[in-house]
Amino acid sequence: MAFPSRDVAIVATSQTPSYRHFDGPEPVMIMRCVNDLLSKTGLERKDLEFTIAGSCDYLSGLPFAFVQNIDGVGAWPPVYESHVEMDGAWALFEAWLRLQLGDIDVALVIGSGKSSPGRPREVFPLQTDPYVMAPLGLDPVSLAGIQARCLIDAGKATERDFASVVSRSRRDAMGNPNAQVAVDRSVDDLLGEPYYCEPLRRHDLPPISDGAAALVLAAGDRARALSSRPVWVTGMDHRIESHHPGLRDLTTSPSTALAAAEAGAGDGPVDVAELSVTYSPEEVVLREALGLSDAVTVNPSGGPLAGHPVMATGLVRVIEVANRIMAGSARRGVAHASSGPALQQNLVCVLQGGE
Amino acid sequence: MSDVDFVLEYPYTRTTGPVVGPFLTGLRDGKILGSRINGRVYCPPLEYDPATSEPVPPDLVEVGPGGVVESWTWVAEPTTKHPFDHPFAFALIRLDGADTALVHAVDGRVARGTRVVARYRDERVGAITDVYFVPEEGAPAQAPIEPGAEPVRLTTHLIGLTIHEPLQPARRRFAQGLLDGKIIGQRSPATGKVYVPSRGYDQLARTEMSDADDVELPDRGAVSSFTVISPVRYYGQKETEPYIRASILLDGADSPIYGVDIRDIPPSEFRVGMRLRAVWRPPDQRDLGDFDNRQGGSWESVIERWEPTGEPDADPATLQEYVF
Repeated sequence: MAFPSRDVAIVATSQTPSYRHFDGPEPVMIMRCVNDLLSKTGLERKDLEFTIAGSCDYLSGLPFAFVQNIDGVGAWPPVYESHVEMDGAWALFEAWLRLQLGDIDVALVIGSGKSSPGRPREVFPLQTDPYVMAPLGLDPVSLAGIQARCLIDAGKATERDFASVVSRSRRDAMGNPNAQVAVDRSVDDLLGEPYYCEPLRRHDLPPISDGAAALVLAAGDRARALSSRPVWVTGMDHRIESHHPGLRDLTTSPSTALAAAEAGAGDGPVDVAELSVTYSPEEVVLREALGLSDAVTVNPSGGPLAGHPVMATGLVRVIEVANRIMAGSARRGVAHASSGPALQQNLVCVLQGGE
Repeated sequence: MSDVDFVLEYPYTRTTGPVVGPFLTGLRDGKILGSRINGRVYCPPLEYDPATSEPVPPDLVEVGPGGVVESWTWVAEPTTKHPFDHPFAFALIRLDGADTALVHAVDGRVARGTRVVARYRDERVGAITDVYFVPEEGAPAQAPIEPGAEPVRLTTHLIGLTIHEPLQPARRRFAQGLLDGKIIGQRSPATGKVYVPSRGYDQLARTEMSDADDVELPDRGAVSSFTVISPVRYYGQKETEPYIRASILLDGADSPIYGVDIRDIPPSEFRVGMRLRAVWRPPDQRDLGDFDNRQGGSWESVIERWEPTGEPDADPATLQEYVF
């Protein structure tokens, strides 16, 4: 059987703003997205044949938060339901696979997270090796600092390059109503700031955010019926590297390159790329791994540096690309999501408009 | 209304296996082990060949205690989980005799190529935190280390996450009501159903609710379900005697309050349908205890106990939809 065997498209998208603190329960953010999607598509709750969410209980410190999140979807009537303790982009991957089975046509994909109640730098070490890393409190900020230092020492980037990514991203975010940090600051101004985790400055880090995002995925004729401008998922793949940073060349991302090749990212022109640049040095690594020239527009939304609702951040990248294709400002684009410290695991999704 | 602070803890105990076990035993005894796989020495040691992912028999060799910094970052503001409470470096350290780098903490300024050396903590438990590194130049002498007796077969890791957040809006008004001796619920504008405590939305209709939807409920109702809990021992357990946790459907409500602590009514007399009323603590003795954004519990910090009203029981058949 050829794979993918069915054409699957994004027919509607929704996202909340990135909030520094959302004063309400996480299911409310999800509810707003779901109600928005039902309104946009004319679908009823019972028409969503498969629902899947990506979230992480550790973020809000609430065991079984992922169950309560179903309140935002509506638990009735019962449908096929799934959850990944991963970014919503991986929920999209599972939904895309699920629709390939052919027995159902419509899926709801959600990513949500409230990082504001906890201390993210103390939560994320829990995703590292429990014997040789987690007990050290080894956090993603520190590993991003080590990765940045590797790039500098290899002659692949400078602190000015990192500041340029930040300056451009947060300036572009001024056109994004969902952005949390949108500001026009020059590279020289940014380079005047003190180090936070040398060679990183605070602005090289993403903000702490609460937020949710969701989309409706549909197959074949159902997609064409639900949207006059469906955005087809032409390829998607994800790959992972060793959890030992010492076994990786942190200046490259072979998992991203492999996922991009498998997803067919290079099989056509890329009009727009939305990348999970959680720490500014990662853009240098990802551009190279994806083979994106300087001419390709990267993160016109501002990217995660402008808003980082963990567990939704990757799905938001997909949505930002899809929205531009739906609006006609791009015909083909690449979305990237990442998990684990220093770009350990990477997902690439290729989207295209038209037939 | 105060913010909520709580610590979420999970105590983990893990077996160590044929490679990590000797590695952690080595750290406790003052030496660092790597593993030789296809002519390369890996530290931290591995149970598999990373090139092929095939398992390999353990072939452990001592590496270090000195090594070279390959990359680093300066942690200006350590977290409470870091090995030092003052600024330090995290570094990729290639130990002498190893071909790969270990991530660890260095107590002092380093740069690429700086030589560092292992130093061991006075109290060692067989964990990666038994060791840290210092710049080799001017390093203080290592105190003598007495090896332990038994190999490290288990390792423990207590996870503790500190959470700080305000009570959510509907929760804030509900909590203030309790301090005032009132039970505040919300009536769904979509379905008319009364939820208490309300989550701030009607999850069946996917409708948000506001303070305009608040309603006050009577502090009496019928037991819709209960369980008698016989305490077993586990980490953090404070209970020793059997007690009741009940769901009570307050008069006029469409959802039961649950997790209500019952200590004064013998389990042999307790039953579904039994009518109860709240006996409130005096206003100056009410507090919100460990009340948080979770839905159940903590009634006992404002309500002293629930007592039988003496009214005839409600028909248990009418309560079947309100168990939880």
